[in-house]
Amino acid sequence: MTASQTGTTGKTLMIVEDEALVAMELRDVLEEAGYHVFDLTERHAEALEVAKRCKPDLALVNIRLAGRDDGIELAEHLKALGIPVVFISGQSSRAHSAETVAIASMPKPYDAADMVIAVAYLLRSLEGDHSLPKPGGLEIFDHNGFDVAPAA
Amino acid sequence: MPVPVHSPEDVALSLTLAVVAASPAPLLLLDGKLMIVAASTSFCDAFGVNPEDIAGQPFLASYEAWDTPQLRTLLDAIVSDEAQADDCEMEVRSPRGPVRSLIAQARRLDYLDLEQVRILVAVSDVTDARADTASNEDALRHNDVLLQEVRHRVANSLQIIASVLLRNARTTPSEETRAHLKDAHNRVMSVAALERLLSTSGQAEVEVHAYFTSLCENLAASMIEEADHISLSVEGDDAIVQGRVSVSLGLIVTELVINALKYAFPDGRSGKITIDYNFHGPNWILCVRDDGVGMPAGGAPVRAGLGTSIVQALAKQLHASVTIIPQHPGTKVSIEHMQIALVQDEPETMSEPVATASPSAISS
Repeated sequence: MTASQTGTTGKTLMIVEDEALVAMELRDVLEEAGYHVFDLTERHAEALEVAKRCKPDLALVNIRLAGRDDGIELAEHLKALGIPVVFISGQSSRAHSAETVAIASMPKPYDAADMVIAVAYLLRSLEGDHSLPKPGGLEIFDHNGFDVAPAA
Repeated sequence: MPVPVHSPEDVALSLTLAVVAASPAPLLLLDGKLMIVAASTSFCDAFGVNPEDIAGQPFLASYEAWDTPQLRTLLDAIVSDEAQADDCEMEVRSPRGPVRSLIAQARRLDYLDLEQVRILVAVSDVTDARADTASNEDALRHNDVLLQEVRHRVANSLQIIASVLLRNARTTPSEETRAHLKDAHNRVMSVAALERLLSTSGQAEVEVHAYFTSLCENLAASMIEEADHISLSVEGDDAIVQGRVSVSLGLIVTELVINALKYAFPDGRSGKITIDYNFHGPNWILCVRDDGVGMPAGGAPVRAGLGTSIVQALAKQLHASVTIIPQHPGTKVSIEHMQIALVQDEPETMSEPVATASPSAISS
């Protein structure tokens, strides 16, 4: 993977979001912050394909996806692939109910600048570096560290 | 025609039976062997029996359905004087309809004849009330689901609006337009922060300190660069206000903080912006103060603009007044809502307009 494929941070992300404008803006802001964002997807099957092919360091997943696909079900598959998931959904209660398949939730409506900070915090935490303060608005599901090992 | 003469005992018994018979609520009078002495007309109507047929009959044998272990235990305890009064809830199949939920309340009567035990049993049919409660609970659950759905849609819509504004701000070549779009984005995010709090808490009210802290985090993330040495802090009481009021308070704070960030710290000046909300009964005061360069000499309204008009309009909506007070250094803007005049304040709270919550207030 070349530097242009990983951005200046060396980290890669995927965004699964059915609202095109929201997804595009999020991608652009994260790319400006130095991340490489793989092709935007809005459905379960195509997202899984990208995940298997590209193995992103973190997946940002909306819960309600296009075609009535469910982001929680996708998160289960991503977890099985060892890809950590942060929910980016306004359905806070559903996100909480699925806290075993994701590492965190950034509920809508979120500020793009906050999301950049949240992504940096989560990626650093996944590497065991907990020196950054937890960003406001970000809900962490696994307080004992980030467990993204494939389900047994 | 001679008027028949009755003994006082007959009159007393007749009155007792008449009172029981006339009771609007289903009522039974039992003796110490749980035989029915009298039944109210309402009881007979409710359970489809003839008053003459049941008088002198054993109560629990009248209906098989009545003979529940709970009711038998209850009545036995009262007859044996182990209990003076108790209640029993049971499901009884009415001969004229479906299963009814009944509450039987039994009382041992305390009267002059100590030999003859008398038990009064009142029966309440709570079937319809229970059904109403269940129906109301279903309606509440349904409303909850609808509210969640509405909030989800509002969150999505705010996210789309914020994304469009930010995208336009990032692509426009005009600095001025970019600044306006970013301001608009911050206003949307101010409402968004509130919506997120309401959605997370599931309540219709908002804890002001948490809301303002969330607002300041958003504003700092989007407006304060790493090179800037400006801090934002929230002080004051842990007040809780209605969601619709907090929308206006949040927008006012957003405008005043944006204003301070734009004008109070020119040329890389460092400083601090403090948001302070305090209440005293129904009265409250919101202050946003900075330690920046302050108002220009002569008081020229250099900060007039959309932000100022928004603050004025929202303050008016909240029945509050806006006061701009020069500080040394900096500026303080106070938004004060005075609903009732306060008396008997401690001297120190008199000098500071509002400091603590207290019920010691009277109408003006």
